[in-house]
Amino acid sequence: MMFRWKATAALTVVAALALAGCASGDTGSGGGDSGRADRLTLTAIAAPTSYDIGQGAEWGNRSPFFQAVFDTLLSKDSAGETQPWLATEWEYNDDNTVLTLTLREGVEFSDGTPLDAEAVVASLEHFRDGTAPQAATMAGKEFAAVDATTVTITQEAPDPSLINLLSIAPGLIQAPSTFDDPDSATDPIGSGAYILDTASSVTGTTYNYTANPDYWNADAVKYDNLTINVLEDVTATTNAIRAGEANGAKIADNNTISEVEGAGWTIESNELDFQGLLLLDRAGTMAPELADVKVRQAINMAFDREALLQSTQSGYGTVTEQVFPETSVAYDAALDTTYAYDPEAAKELLAEAGYPDGFTLSMMSTPAFQTTFDLVAQQLSDIGITVEYTDPGTGNFITDMLAPKYPATWMALEQNPDWQLINFMVGPDATFNPFGYQDPTVDGYIQTVQFGTPEESDQALKDLNAYLVEQAWFAPFFRVQGTFATDANTNLEFWPTNAYPSIFDFSPKN
Amino acid sequence: MLTFILRRLLSGVVLIAVISFLAFVLLYAGGGDIARRILGENATAETVAKKTEELGLNRPLLAQYGDWVVSALTGNLGRSWFTGELVSVSVSGRLAVTLSLVLGATIVSAVLAVVLGVLAARRGGIIDGAVQFLSLVGFAVPGFLIALLLVLVFAINLGWFKATGYVPITTSPTGWLASVTLPVVALSLGAIATVAAQVRGSVIDAMSRDYVRTLRSRGLGMGSVIYKHVLRNAGGPALAVLAVQFVGLLGGAVVVEQIFAIPGMGQLSVRSTTLGDVPVVMGLVIAFAVIVVIVNLLIDLAQAALNPKVRLS
Repeated sequence: MMFRWKATAALTVVAALALAGCASGDTGSGGGDSGRADRLTLTAIAAPTSYDIGQGAEWGNRSPFFQAVFDTLLSKDSAGETQPWLATEWEYNDDNTVLTLTLREGVEFSDGTPLDAEAVVASLEHFRDGTAPQAATMAGKEFAAVDATTVTITQEAPDPSLINLLSIAPGLIQAPSTFDDPDSATDPIGSGAYILDTASSVTGTTYNYTANPDYWNADAVKYDNLTINVLEDVTATTNAIRAGEANGAKIADNNTISEVEGAGWTIESNELDFQGLLLLDRAGTMAPELADVKVRQAINMAFDREALLQSTQSGYGTVTEQVFPETSVAYDAALDTTYAYDPEAAKELLAEAGYPDGFTLSMMSTPAFQTTFDLVAQQLSDIGITVEYTDPGTGNFITDMLAPKYPATWMALEQNPDWQLINFMVGPDATFNPFGYQDPTVDGYIQTVQFGTPEESDQALKDLNAYLVEQAWFAPFFRVQGTFATDANTNLEFWPTNAYPSIFDFSPKN
Repeated sequence: MLTFILRRLLSGVVLIAVISFLAFVLLYAGGGDIARRILGENATAETVAKKTEELGLNRPLLAQYGDWVVSALTGNLGRSWFTGELVSVSVSGRLAVTLSLVLGATIVSAVLAVVLGVLAARRGGIIDGAVQFLSLVGFAVPGFLIALLLVLVFAINLGWFKATGYVPITTSPTGWLASVTLPVVALSLGAIATVAAQVRGSVIDAMSRDYVRTLRSRGLGMGSVIYKHVLRNAGGPALAVLAVQFVGLLGGAVVVEQIFAIPGMGQLSVRSTTLGDVPVVMGLVIAFAVIVVIVNLLIDLAQAALNPKVRLS
């Protein structure tokens, strides 16, 4: 009798748990009086460093956290086009040094204070003077409130990336009343579509948001609640997908795509990052061989890009030989076949350059990408270049690259919009031009891109891209597929310009 | 007894001081440019330099450690460099989660291990063989493999439990049970194996002692002898093993919390150590050290209660 009772109790517990499981799995539909769906649950691969925009404002994989609680001055639609948001109109003066923004009226922060021109100016200054990753993009810019709804941004020289920047991290507007409060790192006050529920959130792991009842753009909000779970572990992400514990998930490892599709999820993708070699020491100060363009071209011919894509990304991505993205006016599909895989021709080029017996090249490696490093070393050794790898330790990889301590390096880098890309990896002061290599032809094109008419600028971008490929500044392998998956209840249009979708591009399927 | 406790506490404080210093030094030796790691590849050299200055990372290591000690003594453990959260909030919030896993696993494994160990020792034969075999399996199969298997069967295929995440018991008791059951089972299996083997050995050893024969000759039943006398004697070593297990379970929690995406101290340790989030790691080190000191003290007291001979030493 005793045992039967126990068995019954156990069964009851199991049944209760199963019911609880069913109940908690019921996401995405239902909804209340608002006409919205109840909850959107997403997984992300990185938590925000600080909600204080002066400390941690960031886009990329951290964009949904900031986008939920703050508004940006401008926004990007699912086609990647700039659209009005907090600013309804924006206009440059004749020499593109003063940008005038007209603000939407009647917007309030979630603490009830007005979001006016003064608040916007204070927020932009807070970002510029802080230590968020992109703080330097606003360096030297002056902000002024002309009247309650007009803001001007003044700069010494034209900045073709400014409009784009105002639709991402630098354009986030935080309530000035929170600047001096250290708790704003975890308890943000913005004017965004959602309000962070700090009581039920676990910093670094789970972020729960409720819809802002006074949001100015209520029609854009499709869910009453938003949950973002940070899952750093690839297996945990796959488990959450297979157990139906999310509606949308960032897929960090493309080798799990078939499993995700097997669970009935839909894959949405873009191509934002490229992987390949940065041939940084183009002046040959550290590795004299790299000063010869023939050597850099030979390196480009050494790689079987299709094979590399297959073996490291299960084929998810597109081989490329240029660093400008497909969405750029500089992009030219024909450039992707400049250096066919041809080890013999590469050896001949090396011989012409005076290295018939090859040479030794020192580069960095890191255990997380061991397969890639092995393949790179093997393909280079086929044309006579011996790679000497040093593992600088995970925390030193970027630091040592930018020190600079190595003449060339493998890297995965974001393909930003044109002017940002130039300032990121081409210009003399670019972060990823650590040797400060300069070429008068490149400088000329950059000058035209910045100061020329739109037509001249577009042409200069095309010429610049062709020149960089011909001069073999880089040896790109492929653009990696950026992958996001959604469950059967959820629609998504994945914008082409960011690693993580816009929270406004999700909607319930009914 | 009081001096015994005081001496133990004092050595605990010394231990924590030494560990905190070693952790601090090792974190810096593990090195890397922390400001760059916080900011990522998009930041310029100027922004990185500004961040370094802001965090005081350009000052001598000893000065930084000194500052940490001074503010730690006033109860201020600082804020995480990577989330901006107060370290005290971070650590205490996750302590409850990890302790519910580890205590759950300790209780489950202690009960099951004693039952299995005694069964194996008393009955011998097939049961003994089965328990010994299971111990071997439990000992040899890594915890993460068991965890993954449990997720596959009970969370993904059957849908009884949660595959990821943690639900506080205050939010929903059934949700809490659904979120902790699999991690606790995954954590317990290895511990059950080890402790059961220990109990079995102790019981067999105790049963061959003279006092058991004496007790039996006076007509006491086997059950009474085992539960009233043998277990009391066998309990000391088993408790010691259990204490080691408890500390080991804290380590096991690191892996299990990662697999189940549970926001506990283990998950926080992995993340903050790989990132080099010094304030959080230091907070965790202190918390872990305090737990270990307290557990060892409690075990000593329990052993003293079980066996008067211990109290004399």
